[in-house]
Amino acid sequence: MAKAQDIEVAPSEPYRQAAARIVRVRAGELFESADGVLDTRDIERVHDMRVASRRLRAVLEIFAPCFPQSEFKGVLRDVKQLADALGERRDPDVHIDALRSFSKTLLAANKPGVARLVEDLRARQSDGNEVLAAALERAQDRGLHERLLALADAAEPVAPEPVAVEPDAAAPDAAAPDAAEPDAAAEPAAGGRAPA
Amino acid sequence: MRARRVKGLDPDGTLADNAEQIVRVRLDELCGFMPTAADPREVVALHDMRIAAKRLRYILEITGPCFGPYAKTATRLVKDVQDLLGEIHDCDVQIPETAAFAEMLQVADAAALYQAAGSAPDLDPALLKQAPHAREHAGVAVLQAHLRARRLLLFDRFIELWDDLERKGLRARLEYAAGERADVHFEPQR
Repeated sequence: MAKAQDIEVAPSEPYRQAAARIVRVRAGELFESADGVLDTRDIERVHDMRVASRRLRAVLEIFAPCFPQSEFKGVLRDVKQLADALGERRDPDVHIDALRSFSKTLLAANKPGVARLVEDLRARQSDGNEVLAAALERAQDRGLHERLLALADAAEPVAPEPVAVEPDAAAPDAAAPDAAEPDAAAEPAAGGRAPA
Repeated sequence: MRARRVKGLDPDGTLADNAEQIVRVRLDELCGFMPTAADPREVVALHDMRIAAKRLRYILEITGPCFGPYAKTATRLVKDVQDLLGEIHDCDVQIPETAAFAEMLQVADAAALYQAAGSAPDLDPALLKQAPHAREHAGVAVLQAHLRARRLLLFDRFIELWDDLERKGLRARLEYAAGERADVHFEPQR
């Protein structure tokens, strides 16, 4: 199983800053784990992505007060839908795996019944894969990764405005274009939370 | 299960002060399922307790390093509770599913036998060999017995584990640790 990246935290770190940092990491992990997730021959991929979705959902809920609520609700709903779809695929994967191990311990006369159940679960696995494929497409269409990153940006604390240098009214170049630079520097980073 | 709302979180406060409040509420939520979940028939309470353990585990995994050293131990213990309750939940899902599967095989065989009997005055037991799922019933019955026995066993382990955590003072020690602040400083990079 892919291990989640260890994220350093400090008690005095601003809650908002931790929210932005941690959501970026966990969102990245979710989408990095999407590669090959529809391949039913390797059930660990869907497991990794499901775990990543749970971790992301957990951090969204923990840091909920740091995000603009209108955007947050939609993003959380989309993450939940993706997580549910991953569950629909993962549940039969786990069940099939457990039954295969169980079957190895059985008398020959008892194996056909378990094999029949595995066959039945294969159909559910296939249905789950279709649900997952649709959910992945939906996440992409709705720009879920980008919206998560925008949510993280919006949580970021606003940098203190630099002290504006008053241009000398008597100076001949007071109206020169570069006089606007201090204001430009005071803008929040792209996508950053607008000052209240 | 909807998580209990944590009141008074301050987006402009520190991570540790906010996380402490969340940990206290999630811990109270988890412990609140006992003694109800000590009844093996309380399937819903056991499932909800697993969700509560998961929520507590995640907040501890993320923010545990902000607190006293016991938070790390508690993270592991809460994961043990979550894992065990997860295994119990799997049995609670699979027992009725397997029963429904057994029923489906029996219904299909009964229909086939009825068809095979035609206009006979009674059903000849010899026809059973021809039932389409004749070879499958035994394995499904063995699986059902296995799942039921495993569920009983896992529930015993859960009660033992929870008793042990209570004896070791999980709740009081984690509450204390959540009030402590680790001496950790770093410069986060965006």
